[in-house]
Amino acid sequence: MIDQFLMGLSVVMQPEILIYAFAGVFIGQLIGVLPGIGAITAISLLLPVTFYLDATTSMIMLAGIYYGSQYGGSIASILLNLPGTPSSVVTCLEGYPIARDGRAGMALFVAAFSSFVGGMIGVAILVLAAIPMTSIALRFGAPEYAMLVVLGLLAASLVGTGSQLRSFAMVLVGIALGLVGADATTGYYRFVAMPELADGISLVSLAMGLFGVSEIIRNASNRTRTMTNISVTMRDIIPTRTEARSLLGPILRGSTIGSFFGALPGTGAAIASFMAYATEKRVSRTPEKFGTGHLPGLSAPESANNAASQTGFIPTLTLGIPGDAVMALIIGALILNGIIPGPRLMVDQPLLFWGVIASFFVGNVILLLINIPLIRLWVLLLRIPYQKLYPVIIVMICVGVYSHRTSVTDVVLTLAFGIIGYLMKSYRFEPAPVLLGFVLGPLLEDNFRRTMLIYRGDFAIFIERPISAVLFACTVALIGFSIFSTIKTYRRNVQTRGAHER
Amino acid sequence: MQTQDQARTSIVHRATSGAVLLFIGLGMLAIGWDYPIGRLTQMGPGFIPRAIAVMICVIAVAIIIVDIADAGMDKAGGIQWRGLIFVSAAMLIFAVLVDLAGLVPAMFLAVVVSMLADKAASPATILLYAVLATGAGWLLFLVTLELPIPAFWR
Repeated sequence: MIDQFLMGLSVVMQPEILIYAFAGVFIGQLIGVLPGIGAITAISLLLPVTFYLDATTSMIMLAGIYYGSQYGGSIASILLNLPGTPSSVVTCLEGYPIARDGRAGMALFVAAFSSFVGGMIGVAILVLAAIPMTSIALRFGAPEYAMLVVLGLLAASLVGTGSQLRSFAMVLVGIALGLVGADATTGYYRFVAMPELADGISLVSLAMGLFGVSEIIRNASNRTRTMTNISVTMRDIIPTRTEARSLLGPILRGSTIGSFFGALPGTGAAIASFMAYATEKRVSRTPEKFGTGHLPGLSAPESANNAASQTGFIPTLTLGIPGDAVMALIIGALILNGIIPGPRLMVDQPLLFWGVIASFFVGNVILLLINIPLIRLWVLLLRIPYQKLYPVIIVMICVGVYSHRTSVTDVVLTLAFGIIGYLMKSYRFEPAPVLLGFVLGPLLEDNFRRTMLIYRGDFAIFIERPISAVLFACTVALIGFSIFSTIKTYRRNVQTRGAHER
Repeated sequence: MQTQDQARTSIVHRATSGAVLLFIGLGMLAIGWDYPIGRLTQMGPGFIPRAIAVMICVIAVAIIIVDIADAGMDKAGGIQWRGLIFVSAAMLIFAVLVDLAGLVPAMFLAVVVSMLADKAASPATILLYAVLATGAGWLLFLVTLELPIPAFWR
């Protein structure tokens, strides 16, 4: 494997290919910052260019856009609370509070560094374990997926500062929103109040509304919210030694979780980032700090979603199964060049296969190198008074949401979700679990229905199949743990309140 | 202690959020009542919606009970009406104008209206800033990214 990787590296190190790799990650990152206009716009913009390039070079550039836009997405999440993808929702939870504390530079640095390590570990796993990972991914049938989603949704209800009951309610509301539109199995229209909703609610308008718009409503008329002492010296960007040491565990755990979930076609990166966050909250000795700008809660999901976006290429390259719309475009570009991705790709096109994988390695290094100087520039953005910034953000959200499906209804829905998100926060409901419920709900319904159909309504199948049994055990452990900790905090609250009244 | 008593809220107020959730769950049940349910081994499109609606109702009742029992709950903060109204107006104006008049007028008016949320902004600043922001938006979205949105009415 290592020999082949080095061969791939020699492909990438040609100056011409390096330039396209650089162009890919750089453009991907810049466009990833714009909310709602993510990798898909960037790729469709550069797709015509690939007609003049050979397959390897165009793959390297398009893949660069894909993981470069992941980086860009975290920048918008940290600075402006605008998650462009479900996997950067968790980044908002910790990154945005840190930025509001005036330490945006440090948050960006930690995010970039965690992403870099996560991406590297993802590449390493891609090199060393692409084939075993493929065989595990192939064993994921309907029961495994259903169990995995249940686990992910429970993990989502651990996200946030509020009570788990409230978070779980929000997961359910998210699933309910995901039901809107045509049923995937029968085509039956559900909850379609107006014809524009037949395709379902757009993820972009839900995310932009609940996070971005609600935050603008909260702050627009609030003159006190200005950031004054934002420092951009190198010393303030780099975390202190103790902070850096506290990040080692989260980054390693996040990367492992991300690498594993990324290899599953579908919503790997989103589940991975939520799972990584929930894991950190569980193992942390100070879980109450999460949600207030706690660094481990930023670095673990960041490394997880970048590791996942690398291992996400495992099913794409080895099975020809695109994990999401962006991967489908990348596969499309391959097919345009007369190459069919699938199990034979590694054998028939070793230079392309290993060249692309080696380009991930080089691309991540490039991203880290261009990111650190850019941090100062991004932070300067926050020096602009919020009163000047928010009208531009509103326009960016409107254009992004509108251009996503060319739908005016989506813009109005975004506003509706913004108002709902604003009210939710006043009543201590977290928006993040809604989003994961929305993303995973259709997957749960589809796979649960299929399981019940194939195994004739036998629930025992979930513990009879080995992978599903492991996931089931994790789920039970998670439920047990949350009941235990709820009782513990309840007792503590009763005690302190009792002491207070006496 | 006086201030703390004032911060405490009435039972009705405390039950509001759970009640809204219960209303959502019941509404889902009512709307989805006619959807075919099917059987467990052959689920129809109505099966999962009804299951989720029932779960929402159960959780909503639990939240109402917990909230009513928790007498020390803080009152929800006041609503930022100014921000809410002008941000809403700006986005609605954008939504109406983008198809009718094109992207440039829509962006311009969205910036102008949303800036009204800030009490201290003078008309001259708003106008100048809206022109600048619209120009930048035109350069970014239409010239650089070539988004397929008409700049002006056709």
